[in-house]
Amino acid sequence: MALLEVDKVSKRFGGLLALNGVSFAVEKGGILGIIGPNGAGKTTLFGVISGFIRPSSGDVHFDGVRITGISPDKLTRRGLVRSFQIVQTFADMTALDVVTTAALTRRPIREATDYAADVLTRVGLGKKLDETPATLSLQDKKLLELAKCVATDPQCILLDEVMAGLTMAETEAPIGIIRELNRQGVTFVMVEHVIPVIMRLATSMVVINFGEKIAEAAPEEIVKDSKVVEAYFGEHLDA
Amino acid sequence: MIKDDFFKTLASPWLWGIVLLGAMLPMVLSSYYTHILTIALVYVALASAWNIVGGMSGQISLAHSLFIGTGAMLSAALLVKLGINMWAGLVIAAATAGLLGAIIAWIDFRFQLGHLSFVLITLAFAEMASIVVEGWDFLGGASGLLLPQDTGNFLDFQFGGGRGAFWVMLGLATIIVLVNVAILNSPLGYYLRTIRDNEKAAQAIGVNVLRQKTTAMVISAVLTSIVGTAYVRYLTFADPYLLASPVITIEIVLFATVGGLGRAYGPALGALLLVPLGEVLRGKLGGAVPGLHYFIYGIVVIVVILATPSGLLPLFERLFWRRSRMLPKI
Repeated sequence: MALLEVDKVSKRFGGLLALNGVSFAVEKGGILGIIGPNGAGKTTLFGVISGFIRPSSGDVHFDGVRITGISPDKLTRRGLVRSFQIVQTFADMTALDVVTTAALTRRPIREATDYAADVLTRVGLGKKLDETPATLSLQDKKLLELAKCVATDPQCILLDEVMAGLTMAETEAPIGIIRELNRQGVTFVMVEHVIPVIMRLATSMVVINFGEKIAEAAPEEIVKDSKVVEAYFGEHLDA
Repeated sequence: MIKDDFFKTLASPWLWGIVLLGAMLPMVLSSYYTHILTIALVYVALASAWNIVGGMSGQISLAHSLFIGTGAMLSAALLVKLGINMWAGLVIAAATAGLLGAIIAWIDFRFQLGHLSFVLITLAFAEMASIVVEGWDFLGGASGLLLPQDTGNFLDFQFGGGRGAFWVMLGLATIIVLVNVAILNSPLGYYLRTIRDNEKAAQAIGVNVLRQKTTAMVISAVLTSIVGTAYVRYLTFADPYLLASPVITIEIVLFATVGGLGRAYGPALGALLLVPLGEVLRGKLGGAVPGLHYFIYGIVVIVVILATPSGLLPLFERLFWRRSRMLPKI
């Protein structure tokens, strides 16, 4: 059964049609990769699924329930949580404070702090509990974004470019964490620019260009799709 | 519900030692200095109540004169005009203030006010409140209301003036500071600080922004109103230009900022230092060169804010308690 279903979602910003009838589904336990060139509408799509943006038309279903228009905090409590492409900083809270707040979604405060410390240790930030997010390196900030999501005990995590800006070596840590969580049953939807990374993780792929879905297939198929190659590299010269 | 740190604070001999020592001060001080300390405690209570909204959730509310005014003018009017017992007046005023707070929080959420718009809207509420008080005879109008003499009848919300008022204010201030400690050690404190730092990210990790902001505003408004009622009982005269004017909120914001925003003991520290300083300066210099005490007071405040922008409390911690966990390790 599909855990997350996106059904003909469109979003219009004034004269711009940012999303045009996009549909896809993610199976429970799957990892869906969403790719597409800059400005294709990936972040808008994420905003719609996570409840930050209300679609102009179309619906989103999660775990069999229609969730269109439900606020982000309620979705998080239902088990659908997102990370942000631009790492969100907190001026006056430590990494432990921030992740503790996330852990409060499902835990009483006496357990939340210990659990948050445990999650931070699991993502490799165990020695940085008392640092403020702003002082962390980019890689650590991305890991913190991941830890925040994990601490809410989600069924499904939406990752918005969690690898962007990292070197190939630095992506190994998040990849390992995502694999481990997936093995424990967490479903992922990832928007990603770093194609090699997403090829390694995804069980299925959706390609978006100019707000429309142009392809949907297994990772090894998708790179052969002429429309996808075109969207990324332009038309074949010899075609 | 609440982390153990709160109960450790409750059981701390330091806390109760300081409160007990404070409670003994009126025995040794003249009535003049007892009065100054009583006023300082009023501001400790008000600044600490304001801190729940202004410090923890970072919403610089200028509406708090509305809540002080509700607690003071409404309970006074109910007593003087309708003969309603002031204990009942305290409860009615506090409920009214809580409702007004909830309305302001809802408006803030419904119209997604930014920081500046929130400041201006709350100021508008405060201005409207002072116009209502000054224009409505029931609340005393521009001439205010004179309360019956304080004969020390506890059942009539009378505490015998002087020392009695000091102890009441000490109790209120202690309770409100402890409410701050409790909130910072409970989910609400975490939610509010996350909202203050990043509202969108707070929502994404499951924080219901409207509910938490409303809770904070209602708690703050109710506590502020209660202090307003106790304050007007001490003053015996319900003066709209003191108790329902936005100027009093500016003072509260100033004390909280100088002491340390968002910290449990910060606003209390600010009020305890600045109120007596202002009073003593006025007493010593006010007669010599008119306005000189304000000038010196202003310079002190500017120097403090420039020297330690996050407030005196963090500065004191750096000086005296280097082991504090909140500090960067050197």
